Amino acid sequence: MRFLDRRIHLITGKGGVGRTTVTAALAKASARHGRRTLVLEIGDPEGGYSQLGRLFGHDQLSETPVRVAPNLDLAHLWAPIGHEGFLRSVLPGGPLIGSALKSKALRKFLNAAPSFHEMGVFYHLLMRLEEVAPGGGPAHEVIIIDMPATGHALALTGLPDLLLGLIPRGPIAKALRRGQAFMNDPAKAAAWVVTLPEKLPVTESLELLEGLAATRMPAGGLILNRFPHDPFDADERAALDAFMARQPVHGGLALKRIDQAQGAADRLRASTELPIVTLPEVWVDDPVPVLEQALHGAMAGGAR
Amino acid sequence: MSAAPASPGALLQRCKVIVCCGAGGVGKTTVSASLALAAARQGKRVLVVTIDPSKRLAEALGVDRNPPEPVALHPERLAALGIAAPGSLSAWMLDPQRVSDEVVHAQSRTPEEAARLLANPIYRNVSAMVAGMQEYTAVEAMHSFVLDDRYDLVVLDTPPSRNALRFLDAPERVGAFLDKRIFNLFVPGEGSVIRRVASKMLEKVMDVAFGEDTRRDLQVFFELFSQILGHLNTNQHDMQGFFRSEAVSFLLVTSPDREAVQEAFFFEKKTREELGLDLGGYVLNRSLAWSAELPMPAAVRRPADASPALASALHRLAPLAQAEAQLARTHADLARELRQRAGTGGFAWVLPRLPDGAGALEALSGLADALIDPDTRPEA
Repeated sequence: MRFLDRRIHLITGKGGVGRTTVTAALAKASARHGRRTLVLEIGDPEGGYSQLGRLFGHDQLSETPVRVAPNLDLAHLWAPIGHEGFLRSVLPGGPLIGSALKSKALRKFLNAAPSFHEMGVFYHLLMRLEEVAPGGGPAHEVIIIDMPATGHALALTGLPDLLLGLIPRGPIAKALRRGQAFMNDPAKAAAWVVTLPEKLPVTESLELLEGLAATRMPAGGLILNRFPHDPFDADERAALDAFMARQPVHGGLALKRIDQAQGAADRLRASTELPIVTLPEVWVDDPVPVLEQALHGAMAGGAR
Repeated sequence: MSAAPASPGALLQRCKVIVCCGAGGVGKTTVSASLALAAARQGKRVLVVTIDPSKRLAEALGVDRNPPEPVALHPERLAALGIAAPGSLSAWMLDPQRVSDEVVHAQSRTPEEAARLLANPIYRNVSAMVAGMQEYTAVEAMHSFVLDDRYDLVVLDTPPSRNALRFLDAPERVGAFLDKRIFNLFVPGEGSVIRRVASKMLEKVMDVAFGEDTRRDLQVFFELFSQILGHLNTNQHDMQGFFRSEAVSFLLVTSPDREAVQEAFFFEKKTREELGLDLGGYVLNRSLAWSAELPMPAAVRRPADASPALASALHRLAPLAQAEAQLARTHADLARELRQRAGTGGFAWVLPRLPDGAGALEALSGLADALIDPDTRPEA
């Protein structure tokens, strides 16, 4: 699992696959490897609580990073911060910048157009990437982002090409190309697809990989979450199947899921050359520590 | 409120529109399709409108190629699914750009204006440029489907996002673009000297930030599109009362996952407190609650000739069975909690995990049966 030598990681996957939990575990593992790590969520203008924040004991996140563990900061990307940063960077000082930042109409417009809203998120990310630590070097060596549902994730990775089609010249185009230099470079950035060892999620994750490739986002690999442990040898399994056919008991579903998981993993391996990191199914209230341990190991060595 | 007992079956009889909401990955589209199938079996002419179906379900419904009009299932397929006349099942996939293009054709003052707007690069990406286009066009489509007497019932599957219910907000809030101030940003009208100086200043800002070409594209777009938004706005207003009437019901779909349940509660608060809507009930999908009463392996008498392999297998099965039984109990508790939350007028309806690879309509048959008769325990 090539993780620690890249700057940006987008954690993607359909709802219900445990994406946010995996994001939190990846962030903790990266920090434990000694990397100055920033874990981000994309701030939702509709409000509500933060799912990622709750895993670290924060109901709400803000744009200012908070330290949640040694080497680990937590924050969200917030479009208006990106808008302001962008306007400050392109406008000469004086009255022009003042009237831009004061104009409610302009702010409203930038937030009401989804692409410009995402441009704000994108620019805020760029600001974080270019931030310098007090002692030199990047403020955060590894930045991990919990990406929202598939459609939104692809909207963000596809944003530069979409907007460059509309606005091929000028400062927005320049900022987008600067972002692309990071995001589309497999040495610097990777998208990870979190999925489950079941038929439909595997199909959907393969579709998501195609979508990411279409937006020129490099893929780091797949994270096969909640993989059930198979404790039976072949004889035991045959005896058990014969027994269960006559007498249904609890545990039957577990057997079905073990078979499905194996089938799904085989199909995934046959369909992609990308690294696949398998995470165990954990029957506890807080699975983050166990997943962190597994990912800490995977980051240290190869995995497939 | 109607006096009919709260059940999915009664809901299908009473409603003209059923809206399914919930987090991503909980099986909203599956539940929507099952509801539609169940209603069609009761003799209703049903349309299911989806936003983002899985490939497999889209193929099963015949909408995988994004057809302009709803697609009716072939009579042979209907018969195979147990749907007899007058019942029928059609499906349609929402495409905001297509709906918007139709409105532009119908509502522009002249064909030249329509052509000019359709060719405008900003308009060509209208969904990416105008917040709320998905909501606007969903309501616009619902408006025409509800008036359309080809359908007795429309089942709407919403996108998996927190603002999925935004189409129920006042139109002014859906389309922040309708804001007069934004409009004036690009198409400045008359005003005081101070306002004109201020707008000249902003024009300079726009030219620097966006470039002159794009600023002009935006100007043309705003001039021509404001009228189209005005039309969408009128229908949006018309539909607000309808969505709050007894003909419409909202279902919250969730899986037993903690995160999904939290999202469902978030939606409940939104529908009830903020939007003042009547909640039909909860659908707990992929639940193990049905199997809560299965025996544990240790409690079952083993055959006298049990092999050593079976003995050790049963020994190893014990912790898995333990975890599964615990999960089944948790799911049953959750079902009870949802029933309580749904209140007297609502219901919480528990669906099992479907066999792997569900998504084809045939696989949804069991769910559709369970819908009508809540005592039917579908095969898990």
